[in-house]
Order: sequence, then C-alpha cells, then structure tokens
Amino acid sequence: MRSMLPAVAEQLFRDIQKTYQETSQIPNDLLIALRFVFGSCALQALDLVDQRSVTCLSSPSGRKAFQVTGGSGTLYTCFLSCHYCPCPAFAYTVLRRNEGLLCKHILAVYLCQAMAVTQQESVSDQQMSTLLSRTAAL
Amino acid sequence: MADVLNMVFRTFMSQTGLRKQPPVSPPPPAAGSSLLLGDRSLSRSVLLLAAVTAASELGMRVMFFTQTQIQSLPVSLQRCFPNLSPESLKKIKFSYPRTLDELLQQVASLHESTNMPPTPPSLIIVDRLEGFLCGAGGSSSSHSGSHPAELSSAAHLSALLCDTAAFLTQVLEQRGSSSGPCRLIASFLSEADTGRASRDPSGADPILSVLDRYFQVRCTLDRDEGYEATAAGVQEVWHIYLSGRGMAEASFAKDSEDKPGVAQEWQLFVFPDGLMEFKLV
Repeated sequence: MRSMLPAVAEQLFRDIQKTYQETSQIPNDLLIALRFVFGSCALQALDLVDQRSVTCLSSPSGRKAFQVTGGSGTLYTCFLSCHYCPCPAFAYTVLRRNEGLLCKHILAVYLCQAMAVTQQESVSDQQMSTLLSRTAAL
Repeated sequence: MADVLNMVFRTFMSQTGLRKQPPVSPPPPAAGSSLLLGDRSLSRSVLLLAAVTAASELGMRVMFFTQTQIQSLPVSLQRCFPNLSPESLKKIKFSYPRTLDELLQQVASLHESTNMPPTPPSLIIVDRLEGFLCGAGGSSSSHSGSHPAELSSAAHLSALLCDTAAFLTQVLEQRGSSSGPCRLIASFLSEADTGRASRDPSGADPILSVLDRYFQVRCTLDRDEGYEATAAGVQEVWHIYLSGRGMAEASFAKDSEDKPGVAQEWQLFVFPDGLMEFKLV
C-alpha cells in the first residue's frame, strides 16, 4: 500500500518501524507527527493497535487481506495493495469529502505492520473470496 | 502504463501513418490500470481490440467481464487479423456477471485454484463499469450520485480489481511467466458525458473522481465534430487522450531509463463500414 501514501507519511511509518524495533515504544515526537499528518483518526488507530485489532488473513492460493476489528466488534476487510475500507468514515471523509488520506482502520493496518504486531490467520480460498467480495462490514 | 492500449493503437494504425512508423513490436511490459472514458459502443470496440491483440499478439490470457453478450467482433479485427486462430481466441474468457455483486464475486474468486489455469490471466477487462455501479449502494438513483454508499461501491470494485491484478502479477512472477505483469483495463461513461446534469455543483462526476484514485491512466475518447471529420471523408473522428499519474510515471521512467515513451494523444477514424484506424498525433 506504500505507493498510495505521500512521502511524509511513508517516512513517518519507516521512523516508527525503526524506533519501535529498537525500543518497543513510539516516542512523543513521532506520536505528535502521526497526529499532525493523520488528524484525529491517529489516536483511534493507536487504540486499535493496542487492542491488536489487525489480522492478516492468508489463503492457500497465497492471497492475503487485512481484517480489522472495529471498536464495536465489526469486522472490516482491507486490501493489501490499495486503500479501501467498507467503513462509513472512509466513504464519507476520504471518498466524498476528500478530507483525509485514510480511515482509522487502514491507519491501524499501517501501524501494526510497522510495529510487527499484526495477528496472522489462515482461511480457505473460498472464505477469502467471500471476504474480498463482501460489500458491507461484518 | 497503458502499454496494451498503445499496442492496440499501433496495430490498427492507418496505412499512411504506418509507413512513417517502425513495425509494431510488443510494448515493454508494465503493470498498470487504465480507464477508458467515453462513448459506450466505441469503448467496447477498443476493449475487444485490446483483448484480441493481447491474446493473439502477446500470448496473454484475458478475462473479459461484460453485462451484455458480444454479438460480433469489430470489423478492424477481421481485416487486420484475417487468419485469427481459434487458439488465440480461446485465451480470452468472457464472463457475463449481471450485477455488481456477481462481478465482485467473480473477480474475488479469480485467485482460487479452480479458476486459475496453468497460466493465470495477465489482462483483466471490465466493460461499462457504470452498468454495474448504477444504483449500487442501495440507491435507486442514477450512477453518478455522490451518496457515500455509491462512492464506496465504486471504490470497492476498483480496489478489488487492482488488488487482484497485483496478486496475479505476483503469481505470474513466481511461475516465471513471460506474460506478466497483470494489467487492468475498464471502460466507464461518466454521467457528464451522457448529457445529463451531474448532481455535483462543481460539475465533476464524483464516481469518476473515486475511479481516478485507483486507475493510473485515463484514456479519454472525445468526438471531433469539426471540419476535419467532414474533410477526411470518414464517418467519425475521435481524439484519444492519455493522461493521469501513470502517464507522468511513464514519462519519468522514459527520461531516466531511456525507455520508449508512451504517446499522449491519438486520433481515431471510424469509417462507414465500421473500420477503425488510429493515427499518432
């Protein structure tokens, strides 16, 4: 998904990855930068990271997708190579108003990947197809 | 980025243009997604030319999704490829999903082994996206709404297509196939082009803005109503403009690696007998 982000955001995730690998923490200056770049959804995304809400699903074909468990337990399927989330915030803020780069769920995916705290789960090829094609969140 | 489309334009170039050009050679392979904008029937002809050219000239397997049955192939194909072998046409798999849900299911299941022949498709074509997106998201209104659910449906379909192409590219690479990467071409007729007023006060089609997020190259078909069309003695003259971030990346790559460039503008002549000829501008 990296190529869909502006350089400043990519650099920020690289810094978080490096620092978290070394110290298992995200220092305040990076948290402030995160809030500056992504606005209010940064805090909500960090909350999702704390709850280990992001799972990388893999099927025998090799296809992968991310599944994010929202605050209310709703499951959102996000793609590996481009930005899409079935949540209302993505449709309204990102797609319609063009006011944000991404929603808290996709940001949580980036953060979990950078911090290497993504859960792993296997599903069948058919289950993967159903998850990828489902139009609404579960 | 629009390597297959450029191959099509060069293959079906007018004879006067052809003399000045070197013979058609396969384009440098480039992953990418192109959105064909404009007249429905012409877009479909260009998509069919792309499918047959990719299958017969480049040996690519093609997945062609459309809601309406293909009744006949464009005249240009019969003229340009008189000895078109059934074997190359077999490389094209036509699929006829009726609804957006069916299309999503069919695209989402392309990774399953039962749908994956020894060589997976390296070109995915979707004819008339607007037909699938019309009324999507639970709205009974026309396709060009700015309702978040409609925009989300357009984004979901585009993202699924792009992600599937990215996955198939990976599979083609792993299998050492020479026909990769997997490209994506779709056609879309914006409501602004149908003559109906857009609900967006800025005049931009909100669905098109969403599609632009995912498709790297825009290929716009624009009819020339002017003097040249009459003077050329043809039925229709169209301008084809290639634009978008994929084109900017292609020209950057050209500067840095001295690759053959991708043309920005073409002309398309449609003759009364249906023959289509392209000319580099």
